[in-house]
Amino acid sequence: MPIKLMLRNVLAHPLRALLTIGSVMVAVFLITLLHAAVAGLDATLQQASANRLLVQSAVSLFVDLPLSYQQKIAAVKGVEAICKWQWFGGRYEQDKGGFFAQFGVDHDTFLLSYPEIEIAEGSAAGFTTERTACIVGCDLAAKYGWKLDQTVPIAGTIFQRTDGKPWEFVIRAIYRSSKTSIDQNTMYFHYDYLRESLETGGARGPEGVGVYMLRVLPSTDTLQLASAVDALFENGPQRVQTTTEAEFNRQFVSMLGDVPGLLKLIGSAVLFAIFFAVLNTMIMAGRERTRDSGVLKALGFGNLVVGGMLVFEGLLVCGLGAIAGAAVVKLLEAPFQAILSARLPGFAFSTQSLLLGCGLAMLIGLVSGIVPGLRVARLTTVQALREVD
Amino acid sequence: MNQPADIEIRHVTKCYSRGGQTLRVLDELDMQMAGGTFYALMGPSGSGKTTLLNLVGGLDTADQGEVVIAGENIAQLSSGQLARWRANNVGFVFQGFNLLPVLTARENVELPLLLAPINRRQRRAQAERALELVGLSDRMNHKPSELSGGQEQRVAIARAIATAPSVILADEPTGDLDRVTADQVLELLQLLNQQLKKTILMVTHDPRAASFADKIVHLDKGKLGRIDDNPTRPATAGR
Repeated sequence: MPIKLMLRNVLAHPLRALLTIGSVMVAVFLITLLHAAVAGLDATLQQASANRLLVQSAVSLFVDLPLSYQQKIAAVKGVEAICKWQWFGGRYEQDKGGFFAQFGVDHDTFLLSYPEIEIAEGSAAGFTTERTACIVGCDLAAKYGWKLDQTVPIAGTIFQRTDGKPWEFVIRAIYRSSKTSIDQNTMYFHYDYLRESLETGGARGPEGVGVYMLRVLPSTDTLQLASAVDALFENGPQRVQTTTEAEFNRQFVSMLGDVPGLLKLIGSAVLFAIFFAVLNTMIMAGRERTRDSGVLKALGFGNLVVGGMLVFEGLLVCGLGAIAGAAVVKLLEAPFQAILSARLPGFAFSTQSLLLGCGLAMLIGLVSGIVPGLRVARLTTVQALREVD
Repeated sequence: MNQPADIEIRHVTKCYSRGGQTLRVLDELDMQMAGGTFYALMGPSGSGKTTLLNLVGGLDTADQGEVVIAGENIAQLSSGQLARWRANNVGFVFQGFNLLPVLTARENVELPLLLAPINRRQRRAQAERALELVGLSDRMNHKPSELSGGQEQRVAIARAIATAPSVILADEPTGDLDRVTADQVLELLQLLNQQLKKTILMVTHDPRAASFADKIVHLDKGKLGRIDDNPTRPATAGR
């Protein structure tokens, strides 16, 4: 009967109950989403390789390094391979509003340095032997319906061809990644193709290299190696900063600001807003039922039962909201993963994220129920019976 | 407790603080009420009628003195013990009926039975018997909002007698009812007193309502004025 009474009390104001359950549902979904995003960022950073270092300008990532640095860095003891990375920043001719990353890389060392990149279609040889060849991620290929051997026209923004035409890259391989630190939405092409075009006047744009990626020999002290590389260019012409891949990724994310902190802040704000909304609902419910509580006390029900009914009512409303939120998460899992995995490869709605969302919803329900529950429990029977609605 | 319960009030004092002032609502009150008798409690506003009713019902505690019901001094009980005592020994009928609006008539009557050591079927049967007794068998599944004021009060009386308490306390039970309906409710209380030997203590301002009682207790400024026998008590309507 007390359970029936609680259910009937909740259903006595169906619109209010529905709105409260709806707000908890939205909160559970948002918290799960934000937690999944933060966890995705962390996962991406965690999966970074321990035996890769990145050399960038000490001034900024946006300042290119001279090409002449490659040989000097390659000669440092412990460097197994070196690979240039240059941000291309072009736009796909058929989807100028869309965005995906393109990088010019050293075709001969790139695939060797990234064993997590697996060729799904085509061949590594096809990519390495042809000057205009490129390798694209399987998600990117699926997005645009690209096939092997297809020519992809990319309009340069930083690097523009002098004949005014777009750059043309031929897809010779499609890759998939075994780690979330490498996304499946990027195009890699020959850096040499870019350099030669610049040198021969076929294109214009800055000459240089965005970053040098170093693959480190096993059992090499990466910190010592990084210091050695930095020391090489201490007197210029361009000072460098060498970091581990994880640190590089972390700095890259922090260029946008404290993204995890911001996401946590948004999550906390959502949580507080919903907490106050549910608390307000429960306080209203408690006040409306003060006289009923007095009647129950007069009939012989103890303070614990009378107060506990409001606590369970709070838990019931938030529990229903959590269930609805979990259902929404399951429903939107696939589309959200498809949208966010391009920018956040580690993103996934984990059970842990969902449990966190549901757990916080139940906590909100508990606290929101305890506040009016304590109030009615503390009132004497006479005080409760005197209460006017 | 099936035997008629005597009620003894011994030197009871109850004070309230209002606006920084202490009001002595009951002032060393002494009185005795015989078990199985229907008492009407009358007096001007502020004379302590409802306070006395609350003390006898264990809804409130006296600052001083003893409230002895069927030999048990309930002034010594803790709030938890008082709650259990109320569940077993007292039935309440309030002026505003105080039925839970989300429950049906039968569910309202079943409420106090939740605290009794009986199963669901017994609980339901007992609630239905109480509703039959007050003439509401055909309204068992109606919610309070679907009942008239008189029917609501009869449901409240059914709830008060569901656990077979020996004492029924009624606070202005006819205050919100028209005269015909009020008479029906009062006849019902009279019937419970005469046939089931319930001790009934009813607070009222209405001399007509008081005329249904065996004895009329007059309170004045927290003290006992007098207790009158009621020779004009009407005969119980046959049911």
